[in-house]
Amino acid sequence: MSTADPLGASIPRLEARDKVAGTARYVDDFVRPNMLHAALVQSPFAHARIRSFNVEKARALPGVRAVVTGADVPVRRVGAMLKDETMLATGKVRYVGEPVAAVAARDPETAALAARLVEVDYEPLPAVLTIDAALAPGAPILHEELASYVRTMEGGSQGNLMWSSRLVEGDVDQAWAKCDVILEATFQTQAQQHAYLETNGVLAEVEANGRITVIAACQSVHHVQTRVADELGVPMSQVRAQVPRVGGGFGGKHATNIHSIAAWLARATGKPVKLVLSRAMDMEIQKSRHPSRIRIKTGATRDGLILAREADITLDGGAYADESPNVLAFCSLMVRGPYRVPNLRVVSRAVYTNKLRAGSFRAFGNPQGTFAGESQMDELAAKLGIDPLELRLKNAAQPGDHWVGGHTLHTCALRECLGEVRKAQKAAPPLPPPAPGRKRGVGFSSTTSISGLMGTSASVHLRTDGTVALNTGCVDIGQGSDTAMTQICAAVLKIPVERIAYASQDSDLSPYNWKTAASRSTYMTGRAVQAAATVVREKIMEHTAEMLECSAADLELREGGKVGLVGVPGKELGFKDVAMRSLFHVGGPILGYHGLVYDGEKFDPKRTLMERFAFSNLGVYTFGATCVEVEVDELTGRVQVLRAWSAHDVGKAINRAACEGQIQGAFTHGLGLALYEQMIWDDDGRLANPSLADYRVPGILDVPPQITPIILEFPEPSGPFGAKGVGEVPLPGVSPAIANAIAQAVGVRLRQLPMTPERVLDALEAKAT
Amino acid sequence: MKFALPETLADAIALLGEDGARCLAGGQSLVAMMNARLVSPSTIVSLRAIPGLDRIESRADGSLLIGAMARHADVARLTPRSPAGALFATAAGLIGHPAIRNQGTIGGSIAHADPSADYPAVVLCAGATMHIAGPAGNRAVSAAEFFRGYYETALQPGEIVTAVEVPAGPRGGAAHYEKCSLVDGDFAVVSAAVMLAVENGCCTAVQIAVGGGAPVPIRSAAAEAALIGTPLGEADIAAAARTLAEAADPIDDFRGSAAYRRKLIPRIVARAVAAAKRKLA
Amino acid sequence: MRETLEYEITVNGEPTPVRARAEATLLEVLRTECGLTGSKRGCDQGVCGACTVQLDGRPVRGCLTLAANVGTRKVTTIEGLAGASALHPVQQALLDAGAIQCGFCTPGFVVTLDALLRENPRPSADAVRHGLSGNLCRCSGYVKIVEAALRAAGAQS
Repeated sequence: MSTADPLGASIPRLEARDKVAGTARYVDDFVRPNMLHAALVQSPFAHARIRSFNVEKARALPGVRAVVTGADVPVRRVGAMLKDETMLATGKVRYVGEPVAAVAARDPETAALAARLVEVDYEPLPAVLTIDAALAPGAPILHEELASYVRTMEGGSQGNLMWSSRLVEGDVDQAWAKCDVILEATFQTQAQQHAYLETNGVLAEVEANGRITVIAACQSVHHVQTRVADELGVPMSQVRAQVPRVGGGFGGKHATNIHSIAAWLARATGKPVKLVLSRAMDMEIQKSRHPSRIRIKTGATRDGLILAREADITLDGGAYADESPNVLAFCSLMVRGPYRVPNLRVVSRAVYTNKLRAGSFRAFGNPQGTFAGESQMDELAAKLGIDPLELRLKNAAQPGDHWVGGHTLHTCALRECLGEVRKAQKAAPPLPPPAPGRKRGVGFSSTTSISGLMGTSASVHLRTDGTVALNTGCVDIGQGSDTAMTQICAAVLKIPVERIAYASQDSDLSPYNWKTAASRSTYMTGRAVQAAATVVREKIMEHTAEMLECSAADLELREGGKVGLVGVPGKELGFKDVAMRSLFHVGGPILGYHGLVYDGEKFDPKRTLMERFAFSNLGVYTFGATCVEVEVDELTGRVQVLRAWSAHDVGKAINRAACEGQIQGAFTHGLGLALYEQMIWDDDGRLANPSLADYRVPGILDVPPQITPIILEFPEPSGPFGAKGVGEVPLPGVSPAIANAIAQAVGVRLRQLPMTPERVLDALEAKAT
Repeated sequence: MKFALPETLADAIALLGEDGARCLAGGQSLVAMMNARLVSPSTIVSLRAIPGLDRIESRADGSLLIGAMARHADVARLTPRSPAGALFATAAGLIGHPAIRNQGTIGGSIAHADPSADYPAVVLCAGATMHIAGPAGNRAVSAAEFFRGYYETALQPGEIVTAVEVPAGPRGGAAHYEKCSLVDGDFAVVSAAVMLAVENGCCTAVQIAVGGGAPVPIRSAAAEAALIGTPLGEADIAAAARTLAEAADPIDDFRGSAAYRRKLIPRIVARAVAAAKRKLA
Repeated sequence: MRETLEYEITVNGEPTPVRARAEATLLEVLRTECGLTGSKRGCDQGVCGACTVQLDGRPVRGCLTLAANVGTRKVTTIEGLAGASALHPVQQALLDAGAIQCGFCTPGFVVTLDALLRENPRPSADAVRHGLSGNLCRCSGYVKIVEAALRAAGAQS
C-alpha cells in the first residue's frame, strides 16, 4: 500500500489495468440473453416532408421484432435551450441522414436489411446548405413552427435565424477614434467531428415492472435519464441510466436520440436492445463543431495598447439548435482573448441550415474565436512593429483584474505562461536545417477557458473496515476524473488511494452532476469531493474526541487511515475503530455529502450588456500559451508542426501525468482542426466523407514527436487544493499559433481552416503575383 | 454468401466464373467495401491456398517475379538487386500502415486500380508485365495496357492477375518513389516513380510514371526521350515534368482539386528525379 | 439465404470452434463467438487500428480479415498477451507512463507494440512512430505512448 502523497502523483488511472489488458468493458462489450439489435432508417434528402411510411415489408422480415417511425412517436421536442428536435424526424426531415425510423431484430444483419425495407414517401423541399443561403430573403424555412417551440429563454429566433446575442462593454465607437491602428479581417473555420475511437452506443432493457435501464456510452447519466424520460413521455423515476467505460467523448456523447430510440424499442419488444452506431452513421447523425465566419476588428495605440475589439460572429448551427445558443455565448465571451479590452462589442448569431446539427465539441466555440483573435494579434503586432509576444504581454489580463463581465481574476498566470513557452522554445536544441524548398517559422498564441459551471455533488462513506466509498455523478470519459476524484478524497483523509472504492455512475445511485463538459470535473466535482470528504474527516474527529475523551481540536489525521492526539504518537485510533463505533454504538454511518452550484461572481450588468446570453453564471479561468515550430513545404504547401510547447496555469495538477496527457491530447485536437480535419458536404447536402479513411484524424506521424506540456501551479483559492480545469484550454490556441508560424515562415496569412496544403499553395501563389 | 478456398488456380478460375463471385487476395479493399455494404459477393474465392502465388523471386539479373499474393510487407522487405527492386521495396513500404501491409497484396492492389494507390504508378514506371490467368487460358498484358480507367483494368470477367514480371530497370541506375499525401499513410494526392541511370554526367536511361494525375498512371515517352543525354539539370527536369503535367487529366476530389494536382505534378516529378539523381552521386 | 460455416481457428493457443456466416470478419467472430471483446470496433475500414490482432505474430486488422480465411494461422488477441502473473512489458509500460486515457485504442497499440518489439527489440523513437503509424489515438497525442514503448524496449533487454 502506498503512503505517498496522492496529490499531484502521477498514479495510473484506476482502471488502467483493465484497459491495458482488454478487459475494460465498453457498451458494445455487453451482451444480454435474447438481445435484439437496432438499425436506423435515414433520410436521403436534406429537406423534405415525410408524407407516409410503409413498414409492412420490414415488419414481415423473419427476425424483425419491432419497427418504429417518427409518426408512431408523440411529438416531444427536446433541446438544450430551444426545444426543436424529436427522437425521430417528425413531419419533415432536415438533413441527409436524419433518422426517420428504427427497427429491432434478432441480429444486426436482419436489422440492417429490415431498415432498407422501410419505405418512406418524401416530398423533397428546397434546401439551404450555407449560412448565406439560409438567411437570404425567401429562403426555405427549416422550422416552420419555430415560434411555437418551447425555449428556456428568448433567443431572437425567427426564420432560419436560430439564435442571436449581443455583448457590449464600454463604447467601441468612441474608442476607434483614439486608436492609431485598426485592423479588420474575416476568418472562417470548418466543421470538425469528435472522432472518438468508440462510436456512440447504447444497450436498453426493460424490467418486469416496465422500468427502463439504459446503459449508454455518455458524458452524463443524469442527462441521459432526463432525455429518455422526456422523449418517451415517462417520469424520470421510470428510467435508469448507467455508464460503463467510455471510449472518448469530447462533447459528442451527451444525451442523444439513440438512447431514447433503443429504450423505445426495448419497451416495444420487452427485450434488451443494443444500438451501436457504425462510424459512418455516427458521423452522419451525431453532431459537429460549428463552422464559423467571424469578422473581427481590433484597434490599438501606437505603442500597442488595445483599446477596442469588435466581432461579428456567425455560426452554422445545422438542422437543430442543440447547444448552439451556449456555444454562441461562449464564443462571444472568449473572442476578446485573454486580454484587457476596455471596449468590446460582439454581435453573434447561429443559423439553421440543412446539415447535421452542430453542437458541443471540446472548447465549445472558443477555437473559432481564438483563431480569429490570435491571428489578428500577430497581424496587429506586425503593423505596429512590435514583437507579437510583447504585444500579448502588454495587454495580458493580470491577477486582480476585473475581467469578463467584471469577474475578478483571483489567479491569472498568462504572462508567466507566455514567458515559459518563449523560454522553452529558445532553449530547445536547434533543429537540423530544413531540406531545400522548406521554410520554418515560430508562432505563438494565448488562450483562456473556464471550469466553473452548473451543479454537482459527492458523497463519501466511511465503511466499517476503514475503507471508503466515494460516489459522484461525474462520468469519466477517459480524461481521468475517476482517478482525480479518488486522489482528492485520499488527500483529504490521508489514506492510500487503494482504500477508496469509486462507484460508477448510475442515475439511481449517483448524486447529481450536470455533465462531464466544460473542463469542469476537477474544479466542480473535485470541490464537492473535497467538501464531502472534509465532512467525513470532521465526523471522524468528533467521534474520536468522544472515544479519546479530548477535544476535536487536539486531534490530527495520520497517514494510513488513523486519527490521533497531536504530539502523542501512541494515542491514536484506526478509521475502522471509529467507523465501527459510529455504526454499532452511536451515530449511525459516517457519511459526508456536499452539493454545490457554481457560485462565483455573477456578470455585472452595469459593466457588461449581455443580450440573450445562454449562460448566466460561469467562471474560474485557466490561462495558457502555445508555441509551435512549423515547417512549410513551399512546393506542396504541406505544413508540419515540428515541436510544440503548451503552458497552462492549472492551479494544481491533481495527477501530473493525467494533466500532461490532457494538454497533449487537446493540442492534437487543435492540430486536427488547424491542418487536417474537415467534414465535407456535397451539393445535395450529403456528408461526403463519413469515414476515418476520408476524414483524417492526425496519426502519430502527423503529430509533432514533442508536445511539451508546461504546468504552472498558482493555486485557485476556490478550487480543490487550488485546482482548475485543463481539458479544453490547450486546444483553441493551436490553429492561430500555426497560422502565425506559417506567416513568419513564408509570409502568407491564412484566414481559413483547415490550412490545407492546397490553401497554403494558393496563398503562396497569390503573394508571388 | 459462400466461401471457397480452392487449392489450384484452375479451381479458382472455375469458381470465379460464377455470377457474383469475387476473389479475395489481401482483403484490405474488398472486406472494407463489404463492411461498408458497397459490395455483396455471392461467393468469396480466397486465393490464399494456391501454392506459389505469393512467391517473390528477386533474380540475379535484377529482374523480379512477384506473385499476385505477395504481401506489401514482404515486398518492402526484399533486398534490392536492381533499381526496380529498390523502387518496389520503397513504394510497398509506403502503402497504408504496417497492419495493412501485412495483408494487402500486389495482385489485389493493381487489380483494384485505384488511381491514388501506390502500385499502379510503380508498375507502369518499371514497364512491368502482368501475368493473367482466366477461363480462356493465360496471357500477359503490359502495364501500359493494363490500366484502363478509374478502377478499371484489362482484366476480363473471371480473370485474375497471377504474377507481376518486373524488368530490372537501368543497369547501375537508381530509383525513387515520391509520394505527396495530406496525412501520413493516406492515399497519394500525387506520386511519382522514377528510375534513371547516368553515365559521364549524362542521363542514359530514365523512366517516370505519375500516380494520382489521371484515372490511370501516366508515363510520357516524349518526356523521357527529352531527358536522355541531358545532365538532368533543373531546366531539363522542369521541361520533362511539364510534359508529364500536360498529359495529365487530374481527378478532382476532397484530397485535392484538379488544379492543385496539376500544380503538384511537375513539382513532385522534379523532386523525384532530383532525389534519384542524388542517390547516384 | 445466409450460409453458416463451421470451422476451427486457433485463438491465443486454444483451438476454437466457430459457427458464423461466410462474410463474418475475424473481429466479429472474436467478439461474439469467442467472447473476446478486448479487440474493438472503431471504424470497420481498417483505418483506426482498434481491431488489431496478430496472425502468426504479425499485426493485422481484425475488421478486414474474413474469419473463414484465417485457416491454420495462429490468432493472438490482447487477451493472449498478458502473462499468467504479470502484465506484458508493453502493458506495464503504458500504465506506468500515464499513456492510457479512454483506453479504447489501447489493445490495438499493445498488440502492435508486442509485434514491433519482437521484430526490433531496440527501436529508435522514429522506428516506434513508424511502427505505430496505423494506430489512431484520439485522446493522448501519442507522446506518452512512444515514451512507454521505449521504456518497454529498455525493460525487455
